[in-house]
Amino acid sequence: MTTTRNPGLEDPTDVRAIPRRSVGQTLLASGTVLALIALIVFFFAMRPDVFLGFTNVRNILYQVAILAIISGAQTIVMVVGDFDLSVAATSALAGAVASSMMLGGTPVPAAILVGLAVGVLVGLVNGVLVAYLNLSAFVATLATLTSVTGLAFLVTEGTTLFKMPEEFNNLGQGRFLQIPLPVFIATGISLILWALLKYTTLGRRWYATGGNAEVSRLSGVNVRLARLLAFTVAGLVAAIGGILLAARLGSASAVQGEDNLLFSVAAVFLGMTVVRSGAANIIGTLVGVAIIGVMSNGLNILGVNSYVQQVVTGLIIIAAVTLSSLKTRER
Amino acid sequence: MRKTFRATVVLAAAAALALTGCTTGGGTGGDNGGDDGTFRVIAFTSGNQTPVGAWWVKAVEAKADELGWDLTMIQGDFDFQKMNPAVESAIGQGADAIFNGYTDVASIQSIVTAARDAEIPMFAMDAGTEPTDAYVLNVTTDQQGIVDQTVGALDEALGGLDGKTVMVIGHDPHAGIRMRSALAVEALEEAGATIAGGDMQKVQSPATGRTETLAFVADFMSANPGALDGVWAGWDDAALGAAQAITEAGEAGKVTGVDAVSEAIAQIQAGGAMLATVEQPWPSILDQVIAAMVAYQEDGTLPDENFEAAATTLVTAENAADITPSDKLE
Repeated sequence: MTTTRNPGLEDPTDVRAIPRRSVGQTLLASGTVLALIALIVFFFAMRPDVFLGFTNVRNILYQVAILAIISGAQTIVMVVGDFDLSVAATSALAGAVASSMMLGGTPVPAAILVGLAVGVLVGLVNGVLVAYLNLSAFVATLATLTSVTGLAFLVTEGTTLFKMPEEFNNLGQGRFLQIPLPVFIATGISLILWALLKYTTLGRRWYATGGNAEVSRLSGVNVRLARLLAFTVAGLVAAIGGILLAARLGSASAVQGEDNLLFSVAAVFLGMTVVRSGAANIIGTLVGVAIIGVMSNGLNILGVNSYVQQVVTGLIIIAAVTLSSLKTRER
Repeated sequence: MRKTFRATVVLAAAAALALTGCTTGGGTGGDNGGDDGTFRVIAFTSGNQTPVGAWWVKAVEAKADELGWDLTMIQGDFDFQKMNPAVESAIGQGADAIFNGYTDVASIQSIVTAARDAEIPMFAMDAGTEPTDAYVLNVTTDQQGIVDQTVGALDEALGGLDGKTVMVIGHDPHAGIRMRSALAVEALEEAGATIAGGDMQKVQSPATGRTETLAFVADFMSANPGALDGVWAGWDDAALGAAQAITEAGEAGKVTGVDAVSEAIAQIQAGGAMLATVEQPWPSILDQVIAAMVAYQEDGTLPDENFEAAATTLVTAENAADITPSDKLE
């Protein structure tokens, strides 16, 4: 009987198995966290009156809440060793479908459920293409991205949908204890995904599949089903992000939030450098999301040109991937 | 076997003849029309996925039907690598006129060359902000007029611009937005306003214009509470993001946009942070360009001027109810 342990978790047995490391290795291992701390210290030094104030911290959390959700979806897929290029498009389609139905008179809860079902369906299609038809995740989700974007244009008729019911918009714009609701929702979803990955058999099977699919299969893991479920859950989570984005903006369009694809991948890669195993993990992803949010907010506050911000974002991704590959080699 | 071979040869010959027929007769002006006298037009746009671009495609197809034109419509989806060769290929098949909708001349140099080589005149609407020999006619909107109207609206709402802080939101890849946002910076500075953040804030992608602008404005207000008096945005989607950021922060800044989309008009009517937008008269511009093409079809007459800038209408709470939103054009 083979047991699988989750290599992405801060498992004490895993820690014991790893030999003592030098300070340099430790710094390397926690380089992403250090980068986040360095960014916070730097921006705080530049604008001590503002940067860590309640309003600005809330502002940062609000800005990254939806990215955190979509990055969670990307994390699940990357845990099984795949890649989903369609997360942002799926989220846009789900938001568009839900909004369109609300504008057509469908009650808010029912419209949201249909939007979520759209996400599940797209995830299922991705899962079938990758796990059962053996298409590469890159090709399959690229194709899905194209079709899903087309569907979103059909749903919106190329326009921006708005005038959704107030109760729906409140999901994205309302506040509880002065904190925007999307922050609570993102926190809740992240907790659920973290628990799913850390404490459930499914999560362990996902990590095992991502670690070595063939060994997992020989160990009795239904690898195909695991990958199918990963894509399906990712579709569902992406749909939650998209519906929330529509509520947050009070509008929905076919290409809404398309930058979430690049940023979600960047966040997961950044997060992979946080744990010793180098595997995708939710806590690391949240660190990655925080880096992106802090960097964007800090550079905006300092008045840095957005083109420069884009260059810096790219460099950060390169640095993260480099760190990740160094860690892999180290193992 | 011999029968099959003969049939193949006959089919090949027929196909060759048909293809020859398709490729003969380039447009040379004056005596216009295909072999059967039909006026052949190649129309293309890269912006078919925008509401106005989608309207333009439908409107041009309807006009072509009405006028009995043989229309080839090419939709580029902002993908010039796909669109340009498709248009050049259509030019190679022969045509009497080309109609460019909303595609900046800088992005279609290979099409311009192909059209020039084939001696086919190119008509355009909103396809560049300055006169160019690439077109026999390009009718666009008056960018300086747009800036005068929107900056004037801010000036009036803020009780003068001197000493005020205004953020300008631009987007360089779009020629019209690039020009008018640069003009807006000039106009605001001339009026004594300070540009928030020291310079224009540039959105990277129109698809994320609203969220990018929301972040720009929210971050600026977070760092400078109460300091932002207004936001001038080069298009409505960005303006709506700015208005949302101001509303969420509970501040009193005012926002202007350009495009007159229905969401912006609704917000102007609601009386929030969204102060004004600008209606660009696309239907009348389309009629003007089509009339010029019909004149060319009839006797080869080309327009006297190759560039015209049409006047626009400022949309405020007073006239918002009378404006047809640009995303509801029919």
